[in-house]
Amino acid sequence: MANGVTAAEAGRDVREGVDDRLEAFLAGIDEPGFLTERRRAAWDRYLALPMPTTKSEEWRYTDLSDLDPEAFEPFPPAAEEEAAGAEIPEQAARLLEGMEERSGVAVDVDGAVVHRRLDPELAEKGVVFAPVRRVARERPGLLEEHLFASDVAPMEEKLWALHVALLTGGDVLYVPRGVRVPEPVHVLRWASGAGRLLSSHTLLVAGESSEVTWVEEYLSPDLDGALLSLSGLEVVGGDQATVRYLALQRWGRGVRHFSIQHIRTGRDARLSGLNVNLGGDLARDDVTSHLEGPGSESEMLALWFGDGEQHFDHHTLQHHAAPHAYSDLLYKGALTDSADSVFRGLIRVDRGAQLTDAYQTNRNLLLSENAHATTLPNLEIEADDVRCSHGATVGQVDDGMLFYLMSRGLDRKKAERLLVFGFFDEVLGRVPVPGVKARLREAIGRKVGI
Amino acid sequence: MPRNEMVESLDLDEYKYHFVTKDNPVFKSRKGLSEEVVRQISAQKEEPEWMLDFRLRALEIFESKPMPDWGGDLSTLDLDEIYFYIRPQDRMGRNWDEVPDEIKETFERLGIPEAERSVLAGVGAQYESEMVYHSLREEWEEQGVIFESIEDGLKMYPDLFREHFATVIPPADNKFAALNSAVWSGGSFVYIPKGAKIDIPLQAYFRVNAERMGQFERTLIIAEEGSEAHYIEGCTAPQYSTESFHSGVIEIIVKDDARFRYTTIQNWSDNMYNLVTQRAYVHENGYMEWLDGNLGSKLTMKYPSCYLMGEGAHGEVLSIAYARDGQHQDTGGKVIHVAPHTTSRITSKSISKGTGRSSYRGLCKVYEGAVGSKSNVECDALLLDETSRTDTYPYIEIDENEATIGHEATVSKVGEEQLFYLMSRGLEEEEAMAMVVRGFIEPIAKKLPLEFAIELNRLIELEMEGSVG
Repeated sequence: MANGVTAAEAGRDVREGVDDRLEAFLAGIDEPGFLTERRRAAWDRYLALPMPTTKSEEWRYTDLSDLDPEAFEPFPPAAEEEAAGAEIPEQAARLLEGMEERSGVAVDVDGAVVHRRLDPELAEKGVVFAPVRRVARERPGLLEEHLFASDVAPMEEKLWALHVALLTGGDVLYVPRGVRVPEPVHVLRWASGAGRLLSSHTLLVAGESSEVTWVEEYLSPDLDGALLSLSGLEVVGGDQATVRYLALQRWGRGVRHFSIQHIRTGRDARLSGLNVNLGGDLARDDVTSHLEGPGSESEMLALWFGDGEQHFDHHTLQHHAAPHAYSDLLYKGALTDSADSVFRGLIRVDRGAQLTDAYQTNRNLLLSENAHATTLPNLEIEADDVRCSHGATVGQVDDGMLFYLMSRGLDRKKAERLLVFGFFDEVLGRVPVPGVKARLREAIGRKVGI
Repeated sequence: MPRNEMVESLDLDEYKYHFVTKDNPVFKSRKGLSEEVVRQISAQKEEPEWMLDFRLRALEIFESKPMPDWGGDLSTLDLDEIYFYIRPQDRMGRNWDEVPDEIKETFERLGIPEAERSVLAGVGAQYESEMVYHSLREEWEEQGVIFESIEDGLKMYPDLFREHFATVIPPADNKFAALNSAVWSGGSFVYIPKGAKIDIPLQAYFRVNAERMGQFERTLIIAEEGSEAHYIEGCTAPQYSTESFHSGVIEIIVKDDARFRYTTIQNWSDNMYNLVTQRAYVHENGYMEWLDGNLGSKLTMKYPSCYLMGEGAHGEVLSIAYARDGQHQDTGGKVIHVAPHTTSRITSKSISKGTGRSSYRGLCKVYEGAVGSKSNVECDALLLDETSRTDTYPYIEIDENEATIGHEATVSKVGEEQLFYLMSRGLEEEEAMAMVVRGFIEPIAKKLPLEFAIELNRLIELEMEGSVG
């Protein structure tokens, strides 16, 4: 279908009897036809698929029976131009402090871009950093191959389809071949309003031998009702590219956050991802590394601290499709009050993916008697010349260390939290970007209470 | 001794239990499963009314439950083609002379009377659906040890039997436990009185001879306070072109301060579906150990479990699986910590060869209140060929913060350096490979009774022949 046809035009003639709800959502918005077609196909999938239940292995520990996605009113896909003058919420503005050094910065409010900056030098080198819908209009060629192209697992497809169909906004970051983006590109996604649905997407395409660091941060005030956040991240790491991304989830109370992330590695590419879950009532991350290029590497890291009745669910897949690739996963979480967490990770080594090195570690700290942790580290290995291992632990902070800190005058809670912070440091130590590391420390420290 | 002579001197066929004994049963049910078959089994055994009711209720549960959609491939298992009950003889023997010749011959070829004479405290032998032989040394009988076929257990000790039967594994536990509850036949009833310590093993042999046979033995073991015992089962069947089916239920109650070890070495022929539920309740300071060796069958799904019900109880699962061409060993263990200060350990070693697939599947669950519980799981997998497959699927569910839980798994192939080193010392590649594999399973093999350890080593030796170079 030709680009530039508006959704409204594409819809009325071509497709009769199309579901009204999606058409109402799309009414009057201006986006290329191929994007609208992808939304419609996704909406059909969404309608056709059942909601996942705890009867399936993938959703056994996260109960969605009280979640009716259609009860949430989606934020409209606002045009960038209209929203450009909107005011940055005060709290979000404060968070922009200290980000002057970033190579690029953007702030979304309820899906609409209110602030955006990219180092002009990088723009000159051909780096594209723009909202998905604008890129769809101006550089559709950048999107057609990769946008929503990920191989999503069947049990994730329902929410993925809804995410695609009701896409509010999001960003494309394209780094051409050989270009190095010296400082992180950092996006703040702010949302508020109980009863709303926010669907935001990131497509990160790093050309051959390029290098880039991407940070996305989710923020909201504490809400008096529920907000549904559907987030998608697709990372395409070209041959020999170096890509780091960090997702810092610090939503307020009331938010239910579902994030589906797919990372593809080209030959000898080096990718690293870190997910930090601190906020929201429920957060589910589904992260897949597709090691498609021989000799590629993927590092997968995560941290979470749950309190109150927070529920965090982490699903990971290290899919070794190519020989000689390396993946290393380290997921660490601490829980207090009645919080609970799930880790379900799989290393899959295809036949022929010889000389694979794959590791997977999940460590959990339980700080209160009502906290629960479930961990399921899985392996499926079909090649014989591999080195794979996994480990999982559930335990408490060390009594001896606790005693030591308390003997130095700290109260029990303070001492315990300090030890949690130390527990997280193994992961934070692997973040090679000083400015970002400090920001993560600050956010975690605030949440943990030290 | 040169390598080839060594192998020949072992005098082993690929699978040495292929021989078939003439099929001459006194009763054989119709193929397939129905209420009529269940009633026939119960009538053949002259059972009390409550047991017939129990079986019929279990049949309903079996029919209401879906086939499991996880684990191994059960799509080719056709229960309508299976004989659920075959009675090989009229009554059970107490000494070998009473056992019909054909059956006796079978067990003689398996070396059972010989083993009994030398090293065992008691022996039971099951042929098709019924125990054909059961004996116990006098010294243990005098101490009040009971070692009977399950049918005789029900007849002779009705109250003791009914008090414990199906309390550890109720029919509704899973589809195949329900099936076993409906059609069970054969197995042992074991009672170790308070304080009795049996220092040599009790042993049961299970043999399936007929084609398309389903064997559903049921074993109930009660180890009273402070008692100690070791029970071993061995399983074999001849090779037919059609599939056979074995689905046992083993229930064990380990009372306070008792210690019990249950060893299984299954070497079913590779057309056997082997779906077994094994579970022990372990009470205060009790100690339960499952030693589970899976070498045969087409598909095995078996996860021996310990429910640690009393403070200070310990559960242990040692699992070894060897998956050869066309085999899938889906095995592992479960430990459920219910009481405080309970400890457990699961050690699993698996080897996959050719197109074999071995999967570790396990559960470690700690309930709230099981303070101070500790559990450690270690799984190691060895892959011998590029067509082999291994999986690890542990479930770890922790509801108690004062618990320490660890899980570790590794997957590797036999290292080139290891082979090179051994070959530089003068070993052939095959021998070197066999030595590395033996070293890999050694921590478990050394806990096996001698004859099984030798058997396992021979099997590995044999399997390595022609596997390299």
